[in-house]
Amino acid sequence: MHAVSIDSPRPAGAAAPSFAAVAEELLDDVYGYLLYLTKDWAVAEDLTGETFERALRRWRKFDPRRGTARAWLLAIARSAALDWFRAESRRQRREQRAEARERRPESSFGEGLSPELEDGLRSLTAGEREVLALRVVLELDGEETARLLGMSPTAVSTRLHRALGKLEERMRRHDPVA
Amino acid sequence: MTPSPDLIDELQASRPVAPAALRARVRETARAPRAASPWERFRLPVRRVAVVAAPAVLALALVSAGAVGLSRSSEREVFSEAARPVEDTPQSVEKETLSATDLGAGATRDSAAGPTTGRAQRVSATLTVEVSDSDAVSDAAQDAIDLTRRLGGHVVSSSVTTGEQAAATMTVRVPVGKVQQAIAGLSGLGRIVSQQVTIDDLQASLDALERRQASLRNQVARIGARLDTESLEPEERAVLETRLQRLQLELRELRRGITATHAEARMSTIELTVATPEAGVVAPAPSRLERTLDEALDVLVWEGVIVLALAIVLAPIALLGLAAWLGQRLYRRREDERLLST
Repeated sequence: MHAVSIDSPRPAGAAAPSFAAVAEELLDDVYGYLLYLTKDWAVAEDLTGETFERALRRWRKFDPRRGTARAWLLAIARSAALDWFRAESRRQRREQRAEARERRPESSFGEGLSPELEDGLRSLTAGEREVLALRVVLELDGEETARLLGMSPTAVSTRLHRALGKLEERMRRHDPVA
Repeated sequence: MTPSPDLIDELQASRPVAPAALRARVRETARAPRAASPWERFRLPVRRVAVVAAPAVLALALVSAGAVGLSRSSEREVFSEAARPVEDTPQSVEKETLSATDLGAGATRDSAAGPTTGRAQRVSATLTVEVSDSDAVSDAAQDAIDLTRRLGGHVVSSSVTTGEQAAATMTVRVPVGKVQQAIAGLSGLGRIVSQQVTIDDLQASLDALERRQASLRNQVARIGARLDTESLEPEERAVLETRLQRLQLELRELRRGITATHAEARMSTIELTVATPEAGVVAPAPSRLERTLDEALDVLVWEGVIVLALAIVLAPIALLGLAAWLGQRLYRRREDERLLST
């Protein structure tokens, strides 16, 4: 578990973790989440940097009683990613009009993933990859994920099962023996 | 469908790791000194503010109502002194008699001033006296009628109820010159509970009427003289005759008004109530605490009315704002879902 449990009761006099310590601890989580969401390592890196810049500006407002630092950072990352998706959607519409859409090089979701699984992940929607990243890769529980995504735990569970089902299906197609 | 554990294991084992360049960039960002603005630190603790503000506003409303009630009850105490029942002692009766007697001199205790000799004034008085029992009510009513007639006045209306809650109410008119005697006599019928004498000056309006009358008379005389002495064109004569008729009509109306004003100034009106203590005509004077509570309640009601009015005015605006906010939120969520479904 990578979460920094800031919401658990701290002994009296214990110092709150510094932003630098939290950033060091949770950088991989934020980057992984954004990579799964955007399918693009370059974009994920940019958004990760932006996320930590935004987080630093708001750090004084962070209240550990209202949630973990990880959930807080992931919420900021999600907001940054959605902004990027909006901008990207506008850009794509413009390019579609100009019929000059360029194909981006495909990124890897992580070291050691099989090409089939990479391919399967790429076939999922951003929403499905997002829930997979949060529930499976970052191992957030259902409640925390639901809060972060602004949906019910049941909806999160349904989306996760659909994503995993699609992945299984994709893997089976690659390996008919299995 | 149950996902294979291998798939999950593979995903978890291949967890993405941030590149070294990104790590260095984030470290640099995290360690960069930042001058925080004081506003960044400030966050309005809405719940705490509400927890403190709601009782504070309520307390302020209650305290202001109490303070206003207390000050108004003091004012009412001064005012009600005049209407406080006068003790039925020879001395106090004499005082009332004196005040009634002083009416003419313009120095009464319960009324502001008495009628001024030589000026046309409308004098009206309201008098409440309390007697011991039902028989005494009848006797007092009869005495009041006798007194009125003796003073040259007349009874306008009279109603006498006998029995357990015996009471008599009557309206009498007596000559203004005898009003002092009338009030003195009526006051002596029982224990005086309240007494009010009101004087309205009619002289100014009477003077105006008389000036207008003189002016009209002059105009009538001039037009009459022209019609009698001058040889006029038929059309001009017709115009003057019409005008003369109009002026004469106005003059008649004016005379009637002057006569009525003189009549009103000649007679004073006295409304008398005679009652037993059981009749409940006389309500016991409220205590200072009761008056304070009463006034405070009035202020609280007004505060409530103001709050309600504000709520009525602001509620539609707040509802519109809420609807706009919810709509924008819903739109944003749908838009996010659409973006993430690609």
